[in-house]
Amino acid sequence: MSEELIQIQNTFRFTEENQREFDALIGHYPVKEAAMLPTLHLAQKQAGYVSPAVMTYVAALLEVPLMKVKDVVTFYPMFFEEPVGEYVIRVCHTLPCALRDCKGVLAHLKAKLGTDVASETDLGKGTTPDGKFTLMKVECLASCDVAPVIMVNDDLYKNLTPEKVDEILDNL
Amino acid sequence: MVEEKRILYEHLDVPEIHTFDVFRQHDGYACFEKAVADYQPDDIAKMVMDSGLKGRGGAGFSTGLKWSFVPKDIKPCYLCCNADESEPGTFSNRYVLEKNPHLLIEGILICCYAMGIETTYVYIRGEFTLGKKRLDAAIKAAYANGYLGKNIRGTGLNVDIYTHPGAGAYICGEETGLIESLEGKRGQPRNKPPFPAVEGVFRKPTVVQNVETLCNLPFIVGNGVEWYTKMGPTYGDARFDPPKPDPNTGTKLYCISGDVNKPGVYELELGLTCAELIEVAGGLRGEQVKAVIPGGSSAPILTHYELDTRLDFTSLTLAKSMLGSGGIIVMNETRNIVDCLLNIMKFYAHESCGQCTPCRWGTPWVRDIVQRIADGNGRKSTITRPKFGIAENGRWGDTGETEDIYEDLDLLESVANNIANVDTMTWNTICVFGIAVSWPAVSYMRKFRPEFEATIREGKLTTLSVEEATVPPEENYAYQQRIVPRELE
Repeated sequence: MSEELIQIQNTFRFTEENQREFDALIGHYPVKEAAMLPTLHLAQKQAGYVSPAVMTYVAALLEVPLMKVKDVVTFYPMFFEEPVGEYVIRVCHTLPCALRDCKGVLAHLKAKLGTDVASETDLGKGTTPDGKFTLMKVECLASCDVAPVIMVNDDLYKNLTPEKVDEILDNL
Repeated sequence: MVEEKRILYEHLDVPEIHTFDVFRQHDGYACFEKAVADYQPDDIAKMVMDSGLKGRGGAGFSTGLKWSFVPKDIKPCYLCCNADESEPGTFSNRYVLEKNPHLLIEGILICCYAMGIETTYVYIRGEFTLGKKRLDAAIKAAYANGYLGKNIRGTGLNVDIYTHPGAGAYICGEETGLIESLEGKRGQPRNKPPFPAVEGVFRKPTVVQNVETLCNLPFIVGNGVEWYTKMGPTYGDARFDPPKPDPNTGTKLYCISGDVNKPGVYELELGLTCAELIEVAGGLRGEQVKAVIPGGSSAPILTHYELDTRLDFTSLTLAKSMLGSGGIIVMNETRNIVDCLLNIMKFYAHESCGQCTPCRWGTPWVRDIVQRIADGNGRKSTITRPKFGIAENGRWGDTGETEDIYEDLDLLESVANNIANVDTMTWNTICVFGIAVSWPAVSYMRKFRPEFEATIREGKLTTLSVEEATVPPEENYAYQQRIVPRELE
């Protein structure tokens, strides 16, 4: 590894707790590379997003070329390559939610937060200036019976109306 | 009037059933104990084969047959449980994972015992945070009580279960995509053969099963094959003489959403009709059914003329659609089919993994055509062409009439059929994602052509009444070709 990469890598380290979790993870698989997704999830939870430093660190941990990590990060929509807000709001907009007016929920969120919807190549577009919220559209969240739904970080909110959205945002 | 009767998932709504103690109180793990005490592994594989259990994930492939492909002499062998439920309209796996994760563990244990498997990976959708938390807690409790780990309950059986979170890619629900993703790579499906049963994860034999399929196993073992096969119809496959039995046995967790009064998960025996299911789900919200998607968004749509189709694997396949994952989406008379197709095509254009050119370029192309039509810029030629059909002499030919040329509809069908041809059922892609795109695109357009034409003519989204929007049965290609299977005596 070049000097430069080692320097980038040194700016990110797992906390002791996460390191323990990682050590347990790696034992689940016969090859280290297979722990890629859980490791990236863990790192993203700690760092907020998958920065170049995180990628080089993970590559070194899993003993794979950096390119392989980048390859994976760019493929999966749940990994962010740019900083995101403290609360990531995912609005489902696939057919069953669309039949139950997810457009109204999205429009209300846009107006309330005063931000646009993030695109995959430009997460900053959907992030509020204070860095508190990131608004993004996602595909089916598998909760079509309680549509429309949104996810705020790890929590799912069901049967939404604009009033309920207000309530959720106020309680964050 | 059909009513929901929970058989396999009777205890799904018991409070705290996701904890080990409550699950044990409801005879949890009793079927696994019975399996180990009373049967040899091969007996269980034979029972699963005889039960006619078909995979509940989408393809509807016989589980027993899949198991029989696994070579016995190559070890280790892996089990991958597919909990990457992302098909729009489907949410049964989420229910099972959140409410009764121990049932899944019991199913996994029986599968592992039958196949001599020691390691199981549960590939769980990244968005299922509660489901993963519940399953992780259940696995921990099972380890603590000696139902997982080394030498389970003194039987000499070793089974480990690990959960593996996905990261939001639809294609990882395809079995080889799931395997690639599990190996820490992009979830791009592999060429088959070799099938996963021969060479799967870490290049070892792998059994990939859906959550719901595995949840059926305890009941097949616990109550016997005869009890299980009484549920659901067994058809006779008329291509053979005498007709070969084609079992559609067991129950299914039907997920119904859209314009019904009580959307949700309903456990019902396979083989009820579409209209009956809508009744079970509290009836239609609205005046009239316009369309029903019978098996997740990739299944060809059914019109209101086809509501008598029975919702099981064989009947839907013969009606030129599919049961898929059992996600039923109902649309009432206020819905615009062009708008619905646009929504679904946006989904597929977003989720194409980008590996095969026809799909990578074709899906955004189809989306753009539908977008153009929905925006009111659909292309229609100024000239007309002779209309072909049943001519005066009763034979196929020039009818003497002319018809308008809707260039964009012809283009839509052509592009979709070049990703995967729905008439010949051949696809130009590695995985079946291709057919999942062209099936809805072509079936919506052919079955609701008047609405597409009206939208192009008017230059804006035009919603016609149900009768006007639907192609009548005599011109509906699927209705004309459909075969209603007959049950074996």
